[in-house]
Amino acid sequence: MNQRFDNVDRDTFRPALALPRSVYVHVPFCRHRCGYCNFSVVAGRDYLVDRFLNAIETEIGWLDRQFEIDTLFLGGGTPSHLSPANLERLMAAIRARFSLADNAEVTAECNPNDLDEATASALAAIGVNRVSLGVQSLDAAKLASLERDHTADDVHRAVERARSFATSVSVDLIFAAPGETRDAWQVDLDAALRLQTDHVSAYELTYEKGTQFWNRLNAEAITEADEDTQADMYTHAIERLNDAGLAQYEISSFAKEGHRCRHNEVYWNGRPYFAFGPSAARFVDGVREMNHLSTMKYFKQVEAGERPIDFREQLSPEPAARERLAIALRHVDGVECESFERETGFSVAQLLGKHGPSWQQDGLLVMDDRVRLTSAGRMIYNHISSLIERAVA
Amino acid sequence: MARTPTENIRNFCIIAHIDHGKSTLADRLLEHTGTITTREMQDQVLDDMELERQRGITIKARAVAMPVKVNGKTYELNLIDTPGHVDFQYEVSRSLMCCEGALLLADAFQGVEAQTVATGYAAIEHDLNIIPVINKIDLQYQRADEVAREMEQSLGVDADECVRVSAKSGINIDQLLEAIIDRIPAPTGDDKAALQAMVFDSHYDEFRGAITYVRIMEGTVKKGDKVQFMRSGTTHEVVELGQFRPQQTPCGALFPGQVGYLVCNIKSLEQVNCGDTITTVSKPASEPLPGYHEPKRMVYCGLYPSDGQDFKELREALGKLAINDPSFEFIPESSDALGFGFRCGFLGMLHMEVVQQRLEQESDVDLVQTAPNVTYEVITKRGETLEIHRPQEVPDSGEIEEFRQPIVRVNLIQPEEYVGAVIKLCQERRGIQQNTEYLSATRVMLSYDLPLAEVIYDMHDRLKSATRGYGTMDYDVLGYFPADLVRMDILVNGNRVDALSVICHRGDADRRGRAVVKKLKEEINQHMFEVAVQAAIGSRVIARETVRAQRKNVTAKCYGGDISRKRKLLQKQKAGKKRMKSVGNVDIPQKAFMAILDTGESNKK
Repeated sequence: MNQRFDNVDRDTFRPALALPRSVYVHVPFCRHRCGYCNFSVVAGRDYLVDRFLNAIETEIGWLDRQFEIDTLFLGGGTPSHLSPANLERLMAAIRARFSLADNAEVTAECNPNDLDEATASALAAIGVNRVSLGVQSLDAAKLASLERDHTADDVHRAVERARSFATSVSVDLIFAAPGETRDAWQVDLDAALRLQTDHVSAYELTYEKGTQFWNRLNAEAITEADEDTQADMYTHAIERLNDAGLAQYEISSFAKEGHRCRHNEVYWNGRPYFAFGPSAARFVDGVREMNHLSTMKYFKQVEAGERPIDFREQLSPEPAARERLAIALRHVDGVECESFERETGFSVAQLLGKHGPSWQQDGLLVMDDRVRLTSAGRMIYNHISSLIERAVA
Repeated sequence: MARTPTENIRNFCIIAHIDHGKSTLADRLLEHTGTITTREMQDQVLDDMELERQRGITIKARAVAMPVKVNGKTYELNLIDTPGHVDFQYEVSRSLMCCEGALLLADAFQGVEAQTVATGYAAIEHDLNIIPVINKIDLQYQRADEVAREMEQSLGVDADECVRVSAKSGINIDQLLEAIIDRIPAPTGDDKAALQAMVFDSHYDEFRGAITYVRIMEGTVKKGDKVQFMRSGTTHEVVELGQFRPQQTPCGALFPGQVGYLVCNIKSLEQVNCGDTITTVSKPASEPLPGYHEPKRMVYCGLYPSDGQDFKELREALGKLAINDPSFEFIPESSDALGFGFRCGFLGMLHMEVVQQRLEQESDVDLVQTAPNVTYEVITKRGETLEIHRPQEVPDSGEIEEFRQPIVRVNLIQPEEYVGAVIKLCQERRGIQQNTEYLSATRVMLSYDLPLAEVIYDMHDRLKSATRGYGTMDYDVLGYFPADLVRMDILVNGNRVDALSVICHRGDADRRGRAVVKKLKEEINQHMFEVAVQAAIGSRVIARETVRAQRKNVTAKCYGGDISRKRKLLQKQKAGKKRMKSVGNVDIPQKAFMAILDTGESNKK
């Protein structure tokens, strides 16, 4: 079952084919599932933690050698839901194959409620230096509607505690929740800014298929904010965060100087990454793979000695280049044209085709030595990316 | 096979509403005459096409000869099956020409229905002797006495003459056989006269070519005869002839009054026209039998392959279908919006549905269908008469002297309490009331003249919902009459979308235009620019809606897993072949092309 890495011709000009220097580990445990969440999560079944750690040890153990990495991201679910002992065991499993480079970024997603003294010490002890807090809101009514189980006070305490050991603290926020007004969002955002974190991720609420919110939306028990409200809220967030020194660097990501999430930038820059755990997605040797979404199915396959893969795709060069370009345009800095062509074999102008000049003319896209979207372009990112990818889809 | 004397032949058909038990009764007759044994009985022998079974209707006529011995004499009963739907009115009339009598069958609970009345009248017009038959008398809730009075009231038959049977349980079938022999006159005809054989149906056999169904009116036809189809003018040799018993049973000759089939090595049904007259080349009849006309297609629609590459496949599939169904026609057409396809003509809506279903079942073609329309007539200022098969063919209003549409006489039968709702329905559709008649204390027949265009699309569904399913309807084409009609065009960002044009009454245009553009607004996705959807008559815009430009379209999250999920979705979509048609630079979903009709009609509520 060993995974070998000596059969690929490593080309320094093709970073996607380089050895990954990033790792994602999915910890599927949560106290309960929130109504908007469609992640791979097992809520209230902590007796599965041992089985999970066994599976992670097995899956990581299949790598046939040791790698050095720059970024590690513990996501979920809620990694902070694990006990200190289990956090140690998880990190030991990772360290069995991965060593952290100097200055490595180690992120853990945490629930504000979980961050007690003991958990904070454990996270610090295993080397976590970046904390991403699932705050979502500081407004009591909105928190209740999102089915979050923490309060604004919990958030303040959690941020303090995170700052005690992490060099970078981030909060996730949700806007356009059911019934939320523009004014309410402005108040909520200001409250979040008073936390003075280094990084903010501001997400418009997405109604995902299979969630309670989705069902309620279809049953017309809740209504989605209209397009104008969503756009106004988003625009306000960009302006307000920029004013507060948190510059937008990706569609939903804002950071103070030096606090961008390096791990996430790996995704947007088309670089390779390992991933382990249920639903975890990896991009290794130009191949995209995703593990089974179902935690139980993931367990069973790993326990049977099989790789728990649900989806696998290797794109031919042009679609791969188009996807790479489309994803890069989420980043405010876009991508450097020359290196893009060298890496993919396709020039940006060639891939944009007739859209290139017209988007530039319409003020949606800027192209000099780099190609990037304007704020107007990012506003309709889906449209632009689908046209870039549609040409071959 | 000894020849049955002409005076011992009885030719008849069964007229009945769907579900009233026509096929079951036919089966029982076959059994009681010993034509087929119970063991051989495949349920409902006469409806042998799978599609007919599925829909519980008889689409094509067939004929079966049943020898039977009664009081020591051998009779030959020929049951000619008639199609049970108005789309096939002409075929019905040809079948009736071949009979001397008809069994008018009504369900002992449901009573007389509109279809029975319409075909019943047609039978009376053809001077057939009518035997009223009430079926299902063993039903718990039968009301046979009332139904008998309804038959008397609606069709003028004598209630006392009703034969009461249960086809399912075989009650009184022998009594019915006696009635057929006693009350239906024998055919007449001179076997020495010049041959006149009426073609009333045909089907295509892959190995033997066209099988032509005939009733001998005058003269005799023998194996080896050189025969001529008088209307189509073609000459063939009879290589085989015989009768259906119910399997094809060859014989040496067919004599006056007999019903059977001819095999003449004909390679396509195109040459075998229902209603044609066959005579012999050596001693031709002086005149063909009366009443013939070419199949009249009343409904047209465009059929397009839903994937551009399937055009050839669609053509082959349509060609194959046309061999078996001469009343269906197709000619290539192209649409700016839909590309290359075919304009197809049908006898009516049912015929259209049947053809479409067969296409999808028998060949692997995915279809995009445009809204169906009836055939219109335009008299130009220069005095020409144009047949209009699609809205694009309507000339400029300046060139039109008169615009004509087909009008039908519709008979609607329903319980008294729904009369108000049905009258409202007919009035909304520009109907003109002709008659009201009480068939019994509780059932009323309304007659209306209505534009066919108002009837074909969904009148039947509406009637059913207005009457909780108790209403039935049927119609007869009266002919073409002038009307204030216009062509309404749909423009998307100023470009006319040809496949979306419709012909409608000027008085309805505003309302319909508004409904259509509103529906299209829902169907067309937001674009990066504003999309104007307009309805126009000539250059005058009568309705407008705007699809707003998209202000925001961005997914908040895109991390490792999201990228894979998106790819997975993309693969699924590719497999699902989602297609849009681009007009100018506006993408129009294919659904929109049919939505046109739904809206226009549903707003009439």
